[in-house]
Amino acid sequence: MSNNYFNTLTLRDQLEQLGKCRFMHLPEFTEGVDALKGKKIVVIGCGAQGLNQGLNLRDSGLDVSYTLRQAAIDDKRQSWKNATENGFTVGTYKELIPTADVVLNLTPDKQHTPVVNEIMPMMKQGACLSYSHGFNIVEEGMKIREDLTVIMVAPKCPGTEVRAEYVRGFGVPTLIAVHEDNDPQGQGLALAKAYAVGTGGHKAGVLMSSFVAEVKSDLMGEQTILCGMLQTGSLLCFDKMIEKSIDSGYASKLIQYGWEVVTEALKYGGVTNMLDRLSNPDKIKAFDLAEELKVIMRPLYNKHQDDIMNGKFSSGMMADWANDDQKLLGWRAETAETAFEKTPAGDVEISEQEFFDHGILMVAMVKAGVELAFETMTAAGIIAESAYYESLHETPLIANTIARKKLYEMNATISDTAEYGCYLYNHACLPLLQNFMKTIDTDVIGKGTSLEDNGVDNARLIEVNAALRSHPVEHIGGVLRGYMSDMKAIV
Amino acid sequence: MEIEFINSCFDFDQRFELKHIDWQVESNQHWVITGANGSGKSALVATLAGYADLLSGELKGVPKKVALVSFEAQAELIDRERKKDDADILDVVSEGTAVKDILAEGDTDAVIVKQLLGKFELEYLLERAFRALSTGETRKILLIHAIASSPELLILDEPFDGLDASTLKLLQGFLLELSESINMIMVLNRCDEMPDFISHIGYMNAGHLLHKVARADTLASRELLQLLHLKTTDLDIPATDNSSANTLLESDKPLVILTDICVKYDQLKIIEHFNWRIEKGCHWQLSGPNGSGKTAILSLITGDHPQCYSNDIFVFGFQRGNGESIWQIKQFIGYVSTALQWEYRVGTSLRNVIVSGFYDSIGLYTKATDSQKSIANQWLALLGMESRADESFNKLSFGDQRLLLIARAMVKHPPLLILDEPCLGLDDINRQLVLALIEKICKGGQSTVLYVNHHSEDAIAGIDLYMEIDKNPLNATQQD
Repeated sequence: MSNNYFNTLTLRDQLEQLGKCRFMHLPEFTEGVDALKGKKIVVIGCGAQGLNQGLNLRDSGLDVSYTLRQAAIDDKRQSWKNATENGFTVGTYKELIPTADVVLNLTPDKQHTPVVNEIMPMMKQGACLSYSHGFNIVEEGMKIREDLTVIMVAPKCPGTEVRAEYVRGFGVPTLIAVHEDNDPQGQGLALAKAYAVGTGGHKAGVLMSSFVAEVKSDLMGEQTILCGMLQTGSLLCFDKMIEKSIDSGYASKLIQYGWEVVTEALKYGGVTNMLDRLSNPDKIKAFDLAEELKVIMRPLYNKHQDDIMNGKFSSGMMADWANDDQKLLGWRAETAETAFEKTPAGDVEISEQEFFDHGILMVAMVKAGVELAFETMTAAGIIAESAYYESLHETPLIANTIARKKLYEMNATISDTAEYGCYLYNHACLPLLQNFMKTIDTDVIGKGTSLEDNGVDNARLIEVNAALRSHPVEHIGGVLRGYMSDMKAIV
Repeated sequence: MEIEFINSCFDFDQRFELKHIDWQVESNQHWVITGANGSGKSALVATLAGYADLLSGELKGVPKKVALVSFEAQAELIDRERKKDDADILDVVSEGTAVKDILAEGDTDAVIVKQLLGKFELEYLLERAFRALSTGETRKILLIHAIASSPELLILDEPFDGLDASTLKLLQGFLLELSESINMIMVLNRCDEMPDFISHIGYMNAGHLLHKVARADTLASRELLQLLHLKTTDLDIPATDNSSANTLLESDKPLVILTDICVKYDQLKIIEHFNWRIEKGCHWQLSGPNGSGKTAILSLITGDHPQCYSNDIFVFGFQRGNGESIWQIKQFIGYVSTALQWEYRVGTSLRNVIVSGFYDSIGLYTKATDSQKSIANQWLALLGMESRADESFNKLSFGDQRLLLIARAMVKHPPLLILDEPCLGLDDINRQLVLALIEKICKGGQSTVLYVNHHSEDAIAGIDLYMEIDKNPLNATQQD
């Protein structure tokens, strides 16, 4: 059924595409939305991304309307309500696609092939088709009509966030790309930049990447550190605490909110800062645990990256699509039945620092996951900038969804593609860590070390600090966070 | 000693009244009474020295020996001395009473008098005529007299006014010693001179003792002092920089024209057939029950309501839906509401919050110019917050946040200032703070004000057009 685009490229081209990622500076966006001004933008799909991006684009002075399937309009489905209540023109594909200068395809991955096949013949000569994720092009090998320009604009945040940040006068970091096989008029970059400005993304930082780099790094990040590690970590840490008779309400709360708290430190100052929040002996402990975890999990990270690169992952998932999502739905139901998911957070006060002190293992898991994902991606040819964004940078965003409504919310917020990959990871990682977890006690999860003496060996501490600070993810993180805070202009 | 005012009303020769005073002063307390000029703070303490007629209510427990030092008492003594001057009649040069005799009047303790004269280095005045002293000298002599009379209650009305720095320091030190044995009540205008031993602060407004705050309640006392600052400061609202959008407006067009507005969710119509014109310089008050669509109307104007694109809306020269961006609209509007405050969860500095008003952003994402920073500093000074400029906004009290957001809304002197229930959720002190600020703004600015509010007591002087929206929006009525 599909024809993996990446696999048709030569190794040289593969590496060139994977290596594309450049941080664009604000002065590169002086033309604003001009390239889209007066053009008719038609959005397909009115879910969270579709609606919120459309609201932003319209508030930036652009002409936006929505097209939905006839059935969605006839049944007045949620997507129809979303669009009409917000005062947008809504029409069928037949009514609106032929009038569009730019079509934004913001439907879920699995609908891309049928949707694109349906609209492509209706599109105006020389129009532009935009994606927010390159799966359809790269993994399914969708061939787009030669006269059409194909671009990608992918805000690196959930749709509601895309809107909320715009309203504040800011934006969310956004990745843009032009599909080089489909840029007949050489307008792709100008259109993508104007689109990023229209959603406010230019204020928060735009990365110029490629379809290939976006897909291969995005898939890797979401399956492993972002969703997979947090899901596996949640289940293991919770079960350990229950086994050791820690109050289940406390355990549930420590995990549900703990990821968010520790990754907040990650967001501001990388892995180094996250570990610096621990006392010296606890930091060394977390470091050692993370080293152990990295050795155990490295083969799994390699396998995920390999399967993503050679197309095995996507063909497996597409087979499940063809099988009515049997695996996905089964795993989803299974997650809902886990003890962590079913135990509500207790009504106990946990201070910000306590989340670190009692969650040393969680800190270690985040460190191991971020570093492994980053190392694996860069080893596979993905440039450090992409690898940073798809690992460390997005972890706090996902942690935030767990804080809101646990794993349910996380899996509901992320795409089906991410969710599928997350379950794959979780199923492999749980047994992998079984022996490791036997060595774990409440000093690193649930109760803290509560040492009377915080003394450590100087040489050891120097060694640990040096290892933390010299990791490549810390280097690129320092540079990129520097750009970001320049843009946030903390004057 | 415990002094108690129970619902007491006082009359001062029909010149001034104190109304419904409820106040308890306990023996271990030292009070400062403060308030704007004419608020009745001197009058309140004068009642303790028997200077007023109690009209109703009770005043209990006033000690026998009360010493009062005030400008009024000072003037009274000087007046007495002048009347004694019968020089014209006797054709001799009268010197009036000598300082030493003034100091000996009443039941004063000669030892204390001597000690204090030494301390303040005033021995050289003893033989002089009281009337010949300078204002500052008179002040000091009266203070010494009051203290030497060993009162149970010492009332000092503006004791630090007109004192030089070295005397001020001396006196403060002495009062501190004294505070261990004598109860003190002070009237102070400038609270930066408030001695550390003061345990309670009372705030007077228009003859009412409006607030009583224990100093240990640091938040409440800070708010009180801030209110005092806003009421008494002679600072004006700061000018804006040259980026104001005012210049972009065509002078003859209304600011806003809403024509046949309809807002609906699903099949539920919130607003229907609603029309409104807002002309420049015509301030409006907008009222109506919850759910009548007030906020929807405002957000159609500000561009925050998505249905502003499907309605006939003319704002600041733009017919909405013709390729303008919301930032082009927002540059003309200053906006404050509780909802905005909820949205404004930002850990940025107070100065940045004010500067963000130039960019209509929540948080600051652009480098501020020097002139914007300087304007923000002027606003902080007006609010009495200049020393806190670098504190984090999200650590502020709810009331302080509101004040800051009002300053943020005003910083660019917007052609239209929308205040959507600016006092909602605020306690009494903070409500008065906000109203005091808004009054200053209405007086000094050129913005057209649109004020949403339910409470008549929160009315703002100068707003004279009134729009009432009924539950059934068809019944919206406009009054001039």
